[in-house]
Amino acid sequence: MEKERTLWGEFSKGFITTNPLLVLMVGLCSALAISTKVENCIFMGLAVIFVLTCSNVIISLIRNFIPDQIRIPIYIVVIASFVTIVDLTLKTMPAVYDRLGVWIPLIVVNCIILARAEGYAYNAKVSHACMDGLGIGLGYTAILLIMSTFRELLGTGKIVMFNTTIISLGTKDMPVIFILFPGAFITFALLSALLQWYQDRKKPRVKEG
Amino acid sequence: MMKTILNLGLKLFLVCLVAAIGLGFTYMLVEKSIAEQDLKRRAEAAEVVLAPIGAQPQEDPELTASMQGDYPDLIGVFEGLDAEGNTIGYAFVLKSKGYNFITMAVGVDMNGQVTGIDVVTNEETPGLGAPAAENPEFLGQFNGKGPAPLTLDEDIDGVTSATYTSRGITNGVNMALEMWKYVQENP
Repeated sequence: MEKERTLWGEFSKGFITTNPLLVLMVGLCSALAISTKVENCIFMGLAVIFVLTCSNVIISLIRNFIPDQIRIPIYIVVIASFVTIVDLTLKTMPAVYDRLGVWIPLIVVNCIILARAEGYAYNAKVSHACMDGLGIGLGYTAILLIMSTFRELLGTGKIVMFNTTIISLGTKDMPVIFILFPGAFITFALLSALLQWYQDRKKPRVKEG
Repeated sequence: MMKTILNLGLKLFLVCLVAAIGLGFTYMLVEKSIAEQDLKRRAEAAEVVLAPIGAQPQEDPELTASMQGDYPDLIGVFEGLDAEGNTIGYAFVLKSKGYNFITMAVGVDMNGQVTGIDVVTNEETPGLGAPAAENPEFLGQFNGKGPAPLTLDEDIDGVTSATYTSRGITNGVNMALEMWKYVQENP
């Protein structure tokens, strides 16, 4: 018997139990590529939250109207429309747009969004779909922020946001590897292991032998 | 059978129609603002590179359009005017290929010498190429060089760990010098 779905439950599961990056392991490419700067992650996170919530709501709203055979093309149309809206809006802020560059249009094929549409919103009430979108989106953003803080600080020795240095370690001799791709994998693996350890601790232990 | 196809087609069409209307509407709202932002950034970069010779940039869309056939990487040409309105230099905003694309403005005075470089945006690798593209020591080396094309590691010292970026910026400056020659020969 499935537990009854509550709004808070649908919202909060995105942080730990079904965190899109660390547990479901979807949408990784953009997360690994973008998490070199905290500032980028804020905008990328907002964009994903917006697209995910809107597409979840719309798909849930029209789920009885969509015939099964053509549901995937319809998801794509809905998602692509919202991504284009974000893309056009961000173009009015060129400083941000240049750095996020190709990753904004690529939200269209971000597996998180398509996975939530197919695996959740298509079979859920509108209110639940909305909370799911917000929760998963915030879970994604939270991990991006943790990863980028770690990487920017260790890789460059300081965190710069909106042209102001927020934290500075006062040295330039930092391991650049953290800001390059290997650093993304190392950071991600550590976070994923940490979450796994945290969750395992809560489970009752099964004695072996 | 026919009926199902029509039904599916119609529904797909309806969804696309609503999406298209929504997008068209959004585009109408932001179109002007995007164009303004683009122009503003180009003009700011042109101002920075023409500042050392005290010239005010003025965009020349006709010249830009006439040159873009020969120089597809050109984004915009600005004439640098002094207080009396005489042209005392040019600023070329262009795209050059480093490891990825670098958008930069190059100022050239009437002797064909570089007055300044401003990197508008770069998509270089964070940590390697990106800091090099904003390194004032590296970029400062170009000032006063030209009109002969520059060679990396002879006229200009490249940045260690950023070979492609150094090459990209040098190529961008050479492109601007070539464009300057073109402007001189085709007044």
